[in-house]
Amino acid sequence: MTVPFFEWLRSNSEEYLLEASQRDMATRYGIEAPVRDGSVFWRRIFTPVYRLLPWGLRRSIMSAMPGSHRRWMRRAPP
Amino acid sequence: MPRRVVVVGGGAAGIGAAGAAKQTDPQAEVTVFTEFEDVGYSPCGIPYVHGREIPTFEQLFLATKQTYEDVGIDIRYETRVNRLDPAAHEIEVEGTGAVGFDSLIVATGFEYADPGVPGSDLDGLHYVKNIRRAIEWDPVLEDARVAVVVEATPLGLEMVTALAHRGLETHLVDPRPWALADVADPDIMQPVQDSWADMGVKMHFNTPVEAFLGEGKVRAVKTPDEELPADVVVICTHKQPNNRLARNAGIKIGSTGGIIVDQRMHTRTEGVYAAGDCAEIPHGVTKVPIQGLSGSHAYAQGKVAGTSAAGGDRAYNPVDVPWGMVAGKWMIGGVSFGETTANALRFPYVMGVAEGISRARYYPDMKKIRIKLLADPGTHRLLGAQMVGGEGIKERADFLAMAVRTGITIEDLATMENVYSPPIGALNEPISLAAQNALAGLKG
Repeated sequence: MTVPFFEWLRSNSEEYLLEASQRDMATRYGIEAPVRDGSVFWRRIFTPVYRLLPWGLRRSIMSAMPGSHRRWMRRAPP
Repeated sequence: MPRRVVVVGGGAAGIGAAGAAKQTDPQAEVTVFTEFEDVGYSPCGIPYVHGREIPTFEQLFLATKQTYEDVGIDIRYETRVNRLDPAAHEIEVEGTGAVGFDSLIVATGFEYADPGVPGSDLDGLHYVKNIRRAIEWDPVLEDARVAVVVEATPLGLEMVTALAHRGLETHLVDPRPWALADVADPDIMQPVQDSWADMGVKMHFNTPVEAFLGEGKVRAVKTPDEELPADVVVICTHKQPNNRLARNAGIKIGSTGGIIVDQRMHTRTEGVYAAGDCAEIPHGVTKVPIQGLSGSHAYAQGKVAGTSAAGGDRAYNPVDVPWGMVAGKWMIGGVSFGETTANALRFPYVMGVAEGISRARYYPDMKKIRIKLLADPGTHRLLGAQMVGGEGIKERADFLAMAVRTGITIEDLATMENVYSPPIGALNEPISLAAQNALAGLKG
């Protein structure tokens, strides 16, 4: 079954952004960094571009994606 | 004519939904369909029986089948629902045919991600999920000498600890650089990993599984470096939403693969609700939807879905995700997110870390606690926290989750009052110390 576009985007972006962060953390805490293999696009293009964008723009893009968050307007009353 | 409420799935969300529906509308006909032999037990307790901390599986049952009959909930065991037709308000039940509903709650839970390597179909690969399979599998551990646990997810951590506690030579294989690396920070996990080493656990990080080897039955796990012989292999890959029934019915699915719901757990299809691991919920801080939360989240979501499906009014909040567990000889926990996730998202934060103690330093069995707080650099509101310690982690995670939810700042935490009593609390609360350090960092 074909994975719908937004699931594909979320799954890959999450995987590669976390991997990049784990690499940063490994350096910060002096442990062995993760093995690097797989997609050139996600590692060399997507991750650096994501990191260059201002937080407000990143948040707007994430908010525009379909999902439960678009149907939750406020915290529930007690 | 009584309202017909149908629940698909008999886990925490499904049973929570059924109970809430019956409570909201006692006249309603509430029917639960489950593919499994049992409901009303705690699957989260299974690793602790394997580890012999809990003597028997029977202790994990929280209610009998008669309990549900007595309250008027009709549970159809070992019954598969093959199709959902939202327009006709019908489901197709294997062996029965069409069953109508006024409200339907999809609580189909999760599936483990396919390891996706050769040999994934071999016998002997064990997945911890169903209590009957766990009861059947447990005697295998009596004769086993070597166990391999694949992936250091929360369940993986519990199983590594359980199998090592049981006396097996236990290997942990994970492609990431430290345990629970998609959730927890390396400094939080280091004491856990040190304690596993003390227990004899062999850890293989930055190591993907390339194949499971064997003829019919698994005998080894192949990695890029070696073949690890294994008497038992436990697969603890990530939990993915089991959304087949909903997806095939045209119910909207979000970017996580979870079903899109609103605050009443209503999907975008009239009369159909969803709850638990098959649904996605917005994160309280990032507002990004997430999926695959704890049993307490699933149960609470089920309660909301059941109440709503039976005509009541109840809403669920975005989740700040307090979490905690025992791993190795330590307790770990947190709320919202830690440094690794914040850095991945490039979410702006300031951080304060402190090491404190759980009791007065002279009191027997005093334990260390390391706490890390993340706060918004502009508002100073608490964004997240992570902790490792010998005790008192769960209570602090719950407290800090409320702090995140209510917008408490690190100034508030730095000046918080705390219980001081030598057997249960030290003079200086570690949360307050971490907040003071965060403030000191802000002042340069």
